[in-house]
Amino acid sequence: MDIVIKRPKTTLAALIASSLVFGCVFAKPDMYGNFPVTEKSYSGKKKDSTSYTGQVARHVLHNSLKKLAGKGNGNPNPELKATMMSYYSSKDAGRKIIDPTSKGEFKVKQTMVDEISKGKNLKGKTYKGLVNGFPGQMSGPEVFEFLIDKASSSNKGFDPVTGYNYPQLISKFMMGAVFYSQAVDNYLDEKMGADNKPNNKPYKKGAHYTGKEHSWDEAFGYFGAPAHAMALNAKQAYGIAKRKDVKVADANGDGVVDLKTEMTFAHAYYAADSDKAGTKYMHTIVDAFIKGRQLIRDADGAALTDQQRAQLMSYVKVIKTNWEKVIAEAAFKYAGSCYKDLEKLRTIVESNGNASKAFAAYGKHWGELKGFLMALETSGRSLGEAGVRMNRLVGYGPVLLGGGQVTGIDSEGNFLIGGNRSMGEYQVHMVKLQKLLGDTFKLKARKIDVTGEMDDLLKSLGSSRAAEND
Amino acid sequence: MPENAIQLLLNEWLLDVFNPQKRIFWGYLLSSLFIAILWLRLINKINFQSSFIQIFNRNVWGSASAFADYKVMFINAFLMTILSPRILAKATVAYIVFYSLHLLFESKPSILMGIPQWTIALSFTLFLFILDDFARYWLHRWLHAVPLLWSFHKVHHSASTLNPFTVFRTHPAEAILFSVRSALVQGISTAVFFFFFGNQVTLMMVLGASIFTFAFNLLGSNLRHSPVSICYWHPIELILMSPAQHHIHHSTAEKHIDKNFGVALSVWDWIFGTLCHSKVGEQLNFGLSGTKLINPNTLKSLYLDPIQEAGNLLLNFAHQLSLPFQRENSA
Repeated sequence: MDIVIKRPKTTLAALIASSLVFGCVFAKPDMYGNFPVTEKSYSGKKKDSTSYTGQVARHVLHNSLKKLAGKGNGNPNPELKATMMSYYSSKDAGRKIIDPTSKGEFKVKQTMVDEISKGKNLKGKTYKGLVNGFPGQMSGPEVFEFLIDKASSSNKGFDPVTGYNYPQLISKFMMGAVFYSQAVDNYLDEKMGADNKPNNKPYKKGAHYTGKEHSWDEAFGYFGAPAHAMALNAKQAYGIAKRKDVKVADANGDGVVDLKTEMTFAHAYYAADSDKAGTKYMHTIVDAFIKGRQLIRDADGAALTDQQRAQLMSYVKVIKTNWEKVIAEAAFKYAGSCYKDLEKLRTIVESNGNASKAFAAYGKHWGELKGFLMALETSGRSLGEAGVRMNRLVGYGPVLLGGGQVTGIDSEGNFLIGGNRSMGEYQVHMVKLQKLLGDTFKLKARKIDVTGEMDDLLKSLGSSRAAEND
Repeated sequence: MPENAIQLLLNEWLLDVFNPQKRIFWGYLLSSLFIAILWLRLINKINFQSSFIQIFNRNVWGSASAFADYKVMFINAFLMTILSPRILAKATVAYIVFYSLHLLFESKPSILMGIPQWTIALSFTLFLFILDDFARYWLHRWLHAVPLLWSFHKVHHSASTLNPFTVFRTHPAEAILFSVRSALVQGISTAVFFFFFGNQVTLMMVLGASIFTFAFNLLGSNLRHSPVSICYWHPIELILMSPAQHHIHHSTAEKHIDKNFGVALSVWDWIFGTLCHSKVGEQLNFGLSGTKLINPNTLKSLYLDPIQEAGNLLLNFAHQLSLPFQRENSA
């Protein structure tokens, strides 16, 4: 992307050229990065204050952990559990990147987590509060350790007795309990306070970035968008996560995909997924991140004024609102998937067919739904009655073919199954959940909307208001 | 009345005039006029000028009864904007039915798979039309048969002249019943079809209105309340309600009381024994027989008297219910 100007003939040309180069390096409004160092106490050689490699390392740890969660052989497997725990809670050197790795022409630059950032784990950044919607009254880290234990002894991550799909449960909840929670309830919350991580002091002693600069970068890093997201459409950003088109991902044209800046991770991927249906979540969020970062950069190492902070908080509001919508849109979509899976299962059961494949698909979609719903409650913002209703509608487990459902966990850590709810009734719950999510978060993409067509049909009938006689 | 309220009312009314889902859509008014002229010219052999005079009869359109119709039309438009959000919605009905069907059926019958989409769309459109017409017949019949309901419905029957806007001469209590009826019919039909056929269900429409509603309105529904009495061939009048048959429904003659409750279809009257055929050239008087309303065109008669009458009926009913207890106490 560097612009090379050969032998400028006049002073004016030289000025224009230098301003172009400067502009290109330091003020690209369409990409997140290359913000100059403004921290006054810094005397080193670094020119770019942008830094969120720790967040990217955690994305990679999360992706890898999800892969590992599907590796079990159905028997207790202490070795697999230890490996999973090393990706979750240790800060050990030498951890390989299990995902994302190179795939065909899509060459990934890094192969080891340490190449991105050293000494990072997920546990230290996990939401510590009580996890609503999951049995056992556990904190965030306790839930993950419990799920990791269960996943390591499951068969490829799936438990047909409970219908739990551990890779999905772990992954979807982790995106919330680590990335979303850290970003919206820490970096974009208390760290945006006037006296917390101020802009006229380094983030930590000796750092080349200010308190506010790095807090903002960390939040952006957790969202998971590539730095050049504004130049990508939804399909392209989505395709990067699927490792489809290296040319789209490789923004600097060096032939490889740098996970630090060129990959789509976590909720940015789900934002892009919604945006394929016409929303603009990814661009709205990334645009607010870029504008906020530019505002901090423009403060030039001075403490932010009240006015600047107020403006910054308006960007925070955009980010938080839309990020929450992204998660709710994903939950909405998987509630629709579960409805359709149940439809299929009812037909198979009715005709005495083999339901194992369809049941596994249902478990996978339910795991995604549950994970996203649990994630919604890690933002520090209480969802109030809506949260209670969501948890009641979904319960602790998918309704099983015999009508049972996970109802709790005993003192030995075994799941308790009880109740007798029909699949039809649970389908109704999925429809009610979609309605609740749609109304609560004012959703627009509404993928796999079970009753969307019915709503349209009702509208096509016109008003039922009738002050007309016969 | 504030200016913006008048503007709101006009907007509401104008929306109906430009909405092909409504009977007073300008296109339907025009088609009714065309049919009326054709009838008067070809069947009654009246020249164009006389036809025109009969259709736009000043004694009809300019009567006190007609002016009451116009007033009620605008007042109700205002009242309905307040009442509508509080009346049972078709979406509420549809969701309750849709949920219930999941509990009633283990799975959707496989026989329903593979039916062509157009068949489903036609079935839904026809089902909706027939159920709606059936529901209209029975509600209309109850409006006449149940004294409490009649106290409201007679506002419509107090019209002594008929014009297309007499359709709006409706007490708000009755409008609530019509809205609930419509919500039930639309909600139930939509939910049942959507449950069994999913997104294959569509309404067959012309200009945004159901093809059957469109056909009914295009073929002169506005002539049901008009000075032109069009009769159908009697075998057809067993199935389709002619404008003249509806005039009979409004007639004060004793033999015509409680006849022809149907709307688009007269088949319900035929089945349930309330059908009366029209006679070409028959002279009819419209309005209420007897002297139940001294001046039926005042706002008091149109809005308040029915409420008072209904209240008296309810009080009387309550009194009748309490009689056995009173006797017990006195014994």
